[in-house]
Amino acid sequence: MSGIAQKLASNQKQVAISEFFEKNKHFLGFDSLARSLITAVKEAVDNALDACEEARILPTIKIQITKLDTKKDIIRLVVEDNGPGIPQKSIEKVFGQLLFGSRFHAIRQSRGQQGIGITGVVMYCQLTTGRTTHVRSKIATEPTAAYVDIGLDTRKNKATKANAGREIWYHEDGTGKEHGTEITAEMKAKYQKGRQSVWQYLRMTSIVNPHAEITFVDPEGETHHWTRVTERLPTKVESIKPHPHGIELGQLQRMVAESKDLNLNHFLLNNFSGVTNRARKELCQAAELEGTRKMKTIKGDDVRALLEAFQGERHFNALPVKLLKPPTNCLSPIEEMLIKKGLSKTIDSRFATTLTRVPSVTQGNPFQVEVGLIFGGTMASDKPVEILRFANRVPLMYQQGGCLLTKAIESVDWRQYGLEQAGGKGVPKGPAAILVHLASTNVQFTSEAKEALADNAEVMEEARKAMLEMGRGLRKHLEKKKKMAKTKEKFELINDILPAIAEKSAQILERPIPELSGSITKIMSAVISESTTEWNKETKQTDVEIVLFNYTSRVRAYTILATWPEKSGATMENNETGGRKEALGVWAWKLDSLQPGEKTTISYSLGGLERGDWTDTEILFRGSQDVIGATKMDEKFLQEIRRQEQIMDENGATTPQETKNEEAAEPPEKKAESVEEKIEPTVAPPEGQRTLFGGDV
Amino acid sequence: MSRMRTPEETKTAMHEVVEEMYDRIVKGEPPTMTLPVRTKNNIGFDKKLGVYKYGKKKSVRDATSLGSAKQLLRALHVVEFIEEMLDAGKSSTLREMYYISEAWGMGKFGSQNESNNLAEDLEIVTKCLREDFKLRPEEDGARMIGNLTLRERNRRGEWMRINARDDVGDSGYGVPYNVELEKIELLEHDIDFIMAIETGGMFDRLIENGFDEAYRCGLLHLKGQPARSTRRIMKRMSEEWDLPVVVFLDGDPWSFRIFASIAYGAIKTAHISEYLATPSATYLGITADDIVAYDLPSDDLSKKDIEALNAELSDPRFADSWWQEQINMMLELNKKAEQQSLAKYGLDFVTETYLPEKLAELGLA
Repeated sequence: MSGIAQKLASNQKQVAISEFFEKNKHFLGFDSLARSLITAVKEAVDNALDACEEARILPTIKIQITKLDTKKDIIRLVVEDNGPGIPQKSIEKVFGQLLFGSRFHAIRQSRGQQGIGITGVVMYCQLTTGRTTHVRSKIATEPTAAYVDIGLDTRKNKATKANAGREIWYHEDGTGKEHGTEITAEMKAKYQKGRQSVWQYLRMTSIVNPHAEITFVDPEGETHHWTRVTERLPTKVESIKPHPHGIELGQLQRMVAESKDLNLNHFLLNNFSGVTNRARKELCQAAELEGTRKMKTIKGDDVRALLEAFQGERHFNALPVKLLKPPTNCLSPIEEMLIKKGLSKTIDSRFATTLTRVPSVTQGNPFQVEVGLIFGGTMASDKPVEILRFANRVPLMYQQGGCLLTKAIESVDWRQYGLEQAGGKGVPKGPAAILVHLASTNVQFTSEAKEALADNAEVMEEARKAMLEMGRGLRKHLEKKKKMAKTKEKFELINDILPAIAEKSAQILERPIPELSGSITKIMSAVISESTTEWNKETKQTDVEIVLFNYTSRVRAYTILATWPEKSGATMENNETGGRKEALGVWAWKLDSLQPGEKTTISYSLGGLERGDWTDTEILFRGSQDVIGATKMDEKFLQEIRRQEQIMDENGATTPQETKNEEAAEPPEKKAESVEEKIEPTVAPPEGQRTLFGGDV
Repeated sequence: MSRMRTPEETKTAMHEVVEEMYDRIVKGEPPTMTLPVRTKNNIGFDKKLGVYKYGKKKSVRDATSLGSAKQLLRALHVVEFIEEMLDAGKSSTLREMYYISEAWGMGKFGSQNESNNLAEDLEIVTKCLREDFKLRPEEDGARMIGNLTLRERNRRGEWMRINARDDVGDSGYGVPYNVELEKIELLEHDIDFIMAIETGGMFDRLIENGFDEAYRCGLLHLKGQPARSTRRIMKRMSEEWDLPVVVFLDGDPWSFRIFASIAYGAIKTAHISEYLATPSATYLGITADDIVAYDLPSDDLSKKDIEALNAELSDPRFADSWWQEQINMMLELNKKAEQQSLAKYGLDFVTETYLPEKLAELGLA
């Protein structure tokens, strides 16, 4: 963001906006008629989703595209949302004001990191059709909606407004609309179908925004509908201060210049995350700067020295200064279950697995990788799998080949997991779709076009690990399917066919029907598990039942383990067999003596879930003899869960604790104490919606 | 088959199969049915009988997989069904049995082929014939024309004397499915040899040209892969009347197989080869050399043809040098030709030139 903002800032004074726009349209997303339409939809929808998220409203968004003039490629786009609405006096600011906001102090995951913002759409309409953009918005506390036409004076580089007024906003059914915003934009653009289309963008958006209800009426009048599959809004993200590892020189210079802090000590403690009192002291020493220096006196070389201390190039006691990791509560992952729901509602499949890795940090920026894989159903089995890439919940639709997320997929040998892949490299083939989502406070792109993620070893490693784990899930699923079919056959054999053979042969020979248990044991010669996971309408819980049959001639002992969505807040209920927690999301029951020919049932319910949240329980076992229908526990799998769990605990709990310990260990120091008393943020993180030209609302 | 079994003997033989299953269950083991392996890897030449028979390889079909268990259950249903027919004095076709199996629930057949195979399995393990089981084949027997006389017992139980030249129309005498002694007696003939012919077109051509009288032979239409009764009556005529049998087929890998089943015994029915095979039969044509020698119109071999020829190379029935040469020659030519391609030289070429020349080689003309 800051890249474009700075470029615009420096350019704006010298060139007309129209010229600037023309020159930079390739990275503003308006380089082709087809892409311009997608960009316009994207800006409007992103704004709607962001506004709803902030106001904690479940979004309902309607997009309509109409062809006004097919010869001249003039298209009308209408996007309506049920967001909080924009107060009349702010509409102008949001859609057209040519201001630059200083954004870089507030760091958090946000959709708006991409693209030019809705003002770009207004500008594009003005430049291509000469028409203004009609905006209508209503906030809940006012009885009527405000409307206005926003345009752009390209000579004065200023927004224009016309035909402002107020009206009662009716829904189609005649009821009054409570709150929301609607924009009507007319532009030169082309509507296309296929992988790079408005339809695909909305479909992908709906996958990662399962809480949104999206309706799209295409130019042919066909209505596409993506329903809301969860009432859960994305978690509210906290803003965090920048981490010293992720700071660039220009940014640091600006922060220093704009600082109203008393001195360097205050500056370091107030404006950065991960800087403890100890680190503050060490940074000053490493940079060879007095902590009591007034900010005004800190100039060129000092800033550079400070940056070098940040980046570990200047040492304290011959070592880089140790900093805490930045907090990760500024990230808003979609979460495994919701990705699964989003994928399943959009694509018909037989199997879906999703995985949210714990947050990690690269260059001072927290990030988190999420992946999803769906398999089977009506997807083509002879084509490359569909790759669905997202950065901060925003679909990436162009430059697939050059994107880090694609490279992560390509780096996995999918053949071992049941997909086709020539030479074990490249995009695999098969009836599958793979989703990758990177949530980060600072998404690095390969270019200003912001369609492909730049290479980054840490992100790559996380994405790869997530893929491998997901691949294992797919393989297990395929193996299980095969085994289940075999098991089903065996059950048919012993429950139906064998008794019939016994009966018929006895009847022909006129002898008594023989006892079957011996034959059954010999035929099965195995321990078999069967499990069901079903939603219980009455109790609003998910009931799980695991039945274990011992069809061997010996007494057997096992530990049976089952996966359950503990991470997603589920609770274990009515678990009469007891057992214990083995790891996060894995429960274990010890079964000491399973007699030959006997069966044992474990049953429990999962509370705190919605219908469809949890539909498949994986059964694992520890023990010498194989259990058909269950997977032998891979202890590495457990270790990985425990490792992730540990990281989660550390992220959640230890940050303040560690700081405290450090401070306690430190001898009391007057200056430090005085600094502590006065800690108070001086640069408040900006709130609300922002656009390229309109600062904060 | 020298004689048919009584219903009681048949039942006893079938009960042995049932007992094997029952006893295994009583012992706490999965039920089984033991059968000889029915592939070309388990047929061997029986010097005494002069035909190929199943060897000693046995396969045990046990109920540890769903497929095999269903087979066992089906076998029990078939046994029960046959007992009912024996008691009621009825018979049914294999196809009828297939449809009757619809009522057998889990024991129902998946295809007609399955029921045919199971009937053969039972023949093999009980050493009974399907005639003992009162099961009739679907296919009708061959047609015959020539100066030979036999006696057939009709459905009213009366014996009818039939001359296959004077008492029949142009379609000839129709061979019934049961050609055993209680149904057919061979009385007398005035012919020098029997010629078995693959296609109906060629059979009719020879009749129209009066070949049977001109060359004093009996003509027999095989209708492709010959039915059991066709092979059985050939065998009886050959043995009882001491007549040579020559076989006139298309020149392709499938004809070679037809000949092998006539002369040496079919793999599927190797348990009763001594009743069906005619070891003295001779392959007249079309041979691979004929294609070249007579410059016959021909087609390229298909992938399947080539596979079949290669399989024949390792088939013990084609192990002798003449057959190896013919098969290899056909592979080399990469050509096959139909009987009727002889019409290239006119309708009478087959009766006036080709057959006389070929029969002369055998000393029959």
